[in-house]
Amino acid sequence: MTTIQLDNLSFSYKGKPDIIKDLTLNIPSNSFSLLIGQTGCGKSTLLKLIAGLYPKYAGISSGKINLNGLKQAMMFQNPSEQFTMATPRDEIIFALENLDVDQKHYEKRLNFAIEFAHIEKLLDKKIVNLSGGEKQRVALATLVAMDIDLFLLDEPFASVDPEARHYLINKLSELKKMGKTIIISDHVLDDYEQLCDQVYAFDHQTVNRLTDEKKRELFAKNQAIDLSDLHFKLPNKDGATVFELQDTRISLDRLLLKQDNLKLYQGTSTLITGKNGIGKTSLFKALTKIIPYDGHIFYQGQELMKLKAKKYLFHVAQIFQNADDQFLTVTVQDELNLSKKHRHPYYSDEKIDQLLKELKLNDHLDQVVYSLSGGQKKKLQILLMLISQQEILLFDEPLAGLDHQSVKQVLSLMKESKEKLHRTFLIISHQISDLADLCDYHLNFSNLKLHYSEVPYES
Amino acid sequence: MNPSLKLLLVLIISLEISIKASLTTSVIIIVCSIIYLLVHKIKLKNLLLLILLPLIAAFTVFATLYWFNDHPDHYYAWVLSSRIYVYILTIACISRTTTPTELTRSLEQNLHLPSKFAYGVLAALNIIPRMKMAVKQIRTAGMMRGVCLSFWSPMLYFKAILVAISSADNLAQGMESHGYVEGKKRSTLVKIPILAKDWIYFFAILLIFNCRLFFFK
Repeated sequence: MTTIQLDNLSFSYKGKPDIIKDLTLNIPSNSFSLLIGQTGCGKSTLLKLIAGLYPKYAGISSGKINLNGLKQAMMFQNPSEQFTMATPRDEIIFALENLDVDQKHYEKRLNFAIEFAHIEKLLDKKIVNLSGGEKQRVALATLVAMDIDLFLLDEPFASVDPEARHYLINKLSELKKMGKTIIISDHVLDDYEQLCDQVYAFDHQTVNRLTDEKKRELFAKNQAIDLSDLHFKLPNKDGATVFELQDTRISLDRLLLKQDNLKLYQGTSTLITGKNGIGKTSLFKALTKIIPYDGHIFYQGQELMKLKAKKYLFHVAQIFQNADDQFLTVTVQDELNLSKKHRHPYYSDEKIDQLLKELKLNDHLDQVVYSLSGGQKKKLQILLMLISQQEILLFDEPLAGLDHQSVKQVLSLMKESKEKLHRTFLIISHQISDLADLCDYHLNFSNLKLHYSEVPYES
Repeated sequence: MNPSLKLLLVLIISLEISIKASLTTSVIIIVCSIIYLLVHKIKLKNLLLLILLPLIAAFTVFATLYWFNDHPDHYYAWVLSSRIYVYILTIACISRTTTPTELTRSLEQNLHLPSKFAYGVLAALNIIPRMKMAVKQIRTAGMMRGVCLSFWSPMLYFKAILVAISSADNLAQGMESHGYVEGKKRSTLVKIPILAKDWIYFFAILLIFNCRLFFFK
């Protein structure tokens, strides 16, 4: 059987310590491999090395990678950075033209990819208007259309809803049966147990294959919480409200929200769940005045549209899905200094230093924020916004791309902030079991409407 | 008409009109362009913007030649300012009827422009709506941190340029990860043909235009 051979592989970014050191590994082809490891340990780097993008685009490497003739392609952690063309259809055409595919095979492959990732409705939409999860599905469809042998997927399901995730992972195992090799990096372990052949753990600049026993332990730990046990309260209708929606309509390309009446309550945390592309992020965009709405949204009794953005955003802040969007300066220290200017008095310098240590960011103070790993960016971003003085915080996928330990730290940070400072949180997330403890209420977004629900999922 | 031919035609017309002064020809082209745009259902607001925005440039040129010149030349002032409208409206005719993707494919297939250049430009064009959204988001992010970023604020541009640079680098990696290799043979799945009809239109318009420009006074 052919294997993917890594021989004494080392890699570092210029002037930085080694990320990968003397790694020798054989990954069997025609198998499904899961790559796990803490945030920032180098999972994306390893995948980009195998994909041949590094050291061409960044860093210095030594050692050898032998794919034994397997054709590969990679899907990035942030898929919006991977598209050249304006629509999914054009992107797939572009990729197939690159591979010199003729007209006869093109249609077959296109149809297969569409059916694989369920993107028939997205095909001719503008990619810029797709939601995070929809973009991930399109990126996956493009790789499927390319008909490569080796799929390198970097957290491909971070923004995909659980139902689509389950569907896509099962589909990937079908690809394996067709002789493909799949290497996925992921922090969320749901759905993999039955399907993945081996688990590789990234630790201390190297990668080891878990023994069968360790693998079982890993998945057993993950299964501890069963979603059906989770229950949320329904809000008390007399509570003080922060937002009230009345005959509100939000559209972006298509109608996303059509809400008769909805109240969001002060000093509480509300979890918002719903399928990809249903309009969760757009709701936040309307609440932060980035996109307009029809009808009414009242913020403490005043029409949101009529409030001055500058004053309003002194009270309401959003933690963006993509951490890069939050940063305004260059280094981690600069960002902290900026946030300290308008901080909540609770967060003293000592307190912040302690939190930086807990989040393992204290060694990165002079680093350029954009060069942090995906997870480190996320942790820094959440810290920066918790320090700020706003009493209402809108979190868009705060746990996506974080490893188990970081999830715990971030949650305890959020919990502390909520309890000590009586803040109001609205949280969009697919990681319900992690957030169930923090959130008082649960809003389900479906059929253009938000409604409070006691259970995580409604059939 | 084929996108490349359309572009070529507009370039030739613009070039010739820059060399030979003819107010009547300019006016005829302007009127034809507006009719063409209306036939292709341009929004009235966009048409008004197309006429109003260049007015600043056209008026400046006109004023310089007419009022601030030692030897004011009435005719020449009109000719030069009308040219600005010729350039803008003819290009508008192309952008109204051709998408960037069509133009790129046509340039690659018909004029054999290197694919690296064609798709590089296209990818950059596709970033523009993302940049617009990014700027809005940057300003919101700023206000959330107590910083008001005005449209002339260096921080806004610094951040916008950072977004652009990181997008550019990722774009190159993105293209490569979707199989693009510079200089490698590519197939064409969406063909942009040049039909006999295209050539007839092209030469007919060119002929009429040149007759008008050089033979009538």
